[in-house]
Amino acid sequence: MANLLLSPLEKMYILHGVRDDCRSDGRTNIDYRPMELETDVVSHASGSARLRLANTDILVGVKTEIDLPNNDQPGYGKLEFFVDCSANATPEFEGRGGEQLANSISNMMQKAYQSSDAFDLKQLCIFEGKQCWKLYIDILILECGGNLCDAVSLAVKAALYNTRLPSVKTALLDGGNVDLQLSDDPYDNKLLNVDLAPLLVTLCKIGDKFVVDPSAEEENCSVISLIVGATGNKTNYNIDNKKNESCTDSKCTTIVMNGSGSLAPKTLKNAIKQGIEAVQFLDQALGQALLRERRENVTMKKYSYGFLK
Amino acid sequence: MPIDYRRFNGPEDSVSYKQYTKNFLKSYEELCNELIDENEHRKDGRALDEARTMYARTNMISQAKGSSYVELKKTKVVCSVFDPREIPNKNEFSPLGQIYCEVKFAPFSCPRKRRALVPDAEEKDLSLSLKKALEPAVCRYAFPNYQIDVFVYILEHDGACLAGAINAAGLALANAAVPMYDTITACSIAVIEDKLYVDPTEEEEYVANMTPAKEGINHGIITVAMLSTLEQVAGFTQLGSMDGTCVINATEILQKECQNIVPIIHQILVKDVIHNIDLSEKLEKEAKLREAALNENMEEWKKLLSAD
Repeated sequence: MANLLLSPLEKMYILHGVRDDCRSDGRTNIDYRPMELETDVVSHASGSARLRLANTDILVGVKTEIDLPNNDQPGYGKLEFFVDCSANATPEFEGRGGEQLANSISNMMQKAYQSSDAFDLKQLCIFEGKQCWKLYIDILILECGGNLCDAVSLAVKAALYNTRLPSVKTALLDGGNVDLQLSDDPYDNKLLNVDLAPLLVTLCKIGDKFVVDPSAEEENCSVISLIVGATGNKTNYNIDNKKNESCTDSKCTTIVMNGSGSLAPKTLKNAIKQGIEAVQFLDQALGQALLRERRENVTMKKYSYGFLK
Repeated sequence: MPIDYRRFNGPEDSVSYKQYTKNFLKSYEELCNELIDENEHRKDGRALDEARTMYARTNMISQAKGSSYVELKKTKVVCSVFDPREIPNKNEFSPLGQIYCEVKFAPFSCPRKRRALVPDAEEKDLSLSLKKALEPAVCRYAFPNYQIDVFVYILEHDGACLAGAINAAGLALANAAVPMYDTITACSIAVIEDKLYVDPTEEEEYVANMTPAKEGINHGIITVAMLSTLEQVAGFTQLGSMDGTCVINATEILQKECQNIVPIIHQILVKDVIHNIDLSEKLEKEAKLREAALNENMEEWKKLLSAD
């Protein structure tokens, strides 16, 4: 990640803090930093979200386009991730400097969303074999304060939750060409089902312990981190969640080791379990925030903060 | 995708004839049932937990510092490692040496499509995974500010190509006498309908990546790279969708499989060393004979000179 210089003493301070379960900013090893989330911040996008996790600032916009489905998957839509590391974050990202980081994040997201258990691409189908929706998910990294993967995955899920596809009034097949009529009414639209969309959790190994949500300084102290992506839970996104009590377990959609170190098998297994737990906890919090946001949107009570906060 | 203009391209809206073949139109369940018969044997007669036999050798490429060839039945991988060289386009001093990895598929290697010459996303991803797996295995402090190039060429892809690439690269690095902490071995597993297929073929991998007919069924692929003597996991990648217990079970199986490969790699390396010792002894003998012959000549010439 972004380069940062730490003296051996500073590193030692962080290391000892993690050992005693009290980090330099007062958190325990399994605490997240406070987050701010706002959806519907970009008016020109079909869906958008801005997430601020301490000093990490992510803006996600979802654009929709009509496209031809792939030949081997006629009933499926398409999903594409693009990450842009703004030079505002660090001067290092200037020009093509952030390209490698951007590629690795978009690859991670692509992998996490690949399985049908994570995101059902069938809901993006308009006319099987002829037309489908293609979602371009553009992720803009405005500020870099550690833990990019987690923040990006949260913001993407919020933006997808906020995405509105115009509803199709009629679709006629005319001589092999599809004639689509989309609804003009901006309120006549379809929401996506993103209950199961995966979240990523980075577990950073510092000393003998794993730390969740590492800051940029903590990332610098660790040689190995494990990124666990697991699906969310349906019950977190249902307004009447008491009715639907069939709680499904989170499923891992992608696990990747990051960094130049290695792990003992036992530590790895513990970390995976810890990661899945963290995803469930995060997903619950995100679900609550998004439900509240949607309620406020319906009752027109929502106040837009944008970037002024 | 860019079009290759050197080839004949059909009309723009043409589709591959393969889409109308019986094989393509099979449903997910049919494909799953085909992979395994009633005695729990796979298509090639292996049991579910049986890995393919491995053939490997070193010194494939004479120009490279170290090279290897690994064959898992139909998966065929060539790897070459070149001498350390200064890191290109870099001004800062890097205290640890770098490893540069490149994985490339031969154009004809895959059964489902022709591979383009420009590296695609999958190849880049494989290169990155390979690099991440090799980094903890190599003593990088031994060559600061230098980089070692590792090139992997997949001649034929029949599943488990990342595992094959890691095995081949580990062997080639050892063959190139690059200092390493431990032998690195890798193995992969495919999960289809809650069944674990050790060392999957391409067909099994394809089904594992497909969308299952019912929701909530474990599917996906896990690859683990191990440093077995040190008991460390050097690389871990998981794709698909599976619950925590399934991941952990699979990891345990893979750990054992990785250990099973170690003696094979060791045997090859020992053979390599013996071969090298024999060769150097032979060369030494020849050199001595040559010297003796020269000395004899010298004596003769000296005699001739003194006779004058």
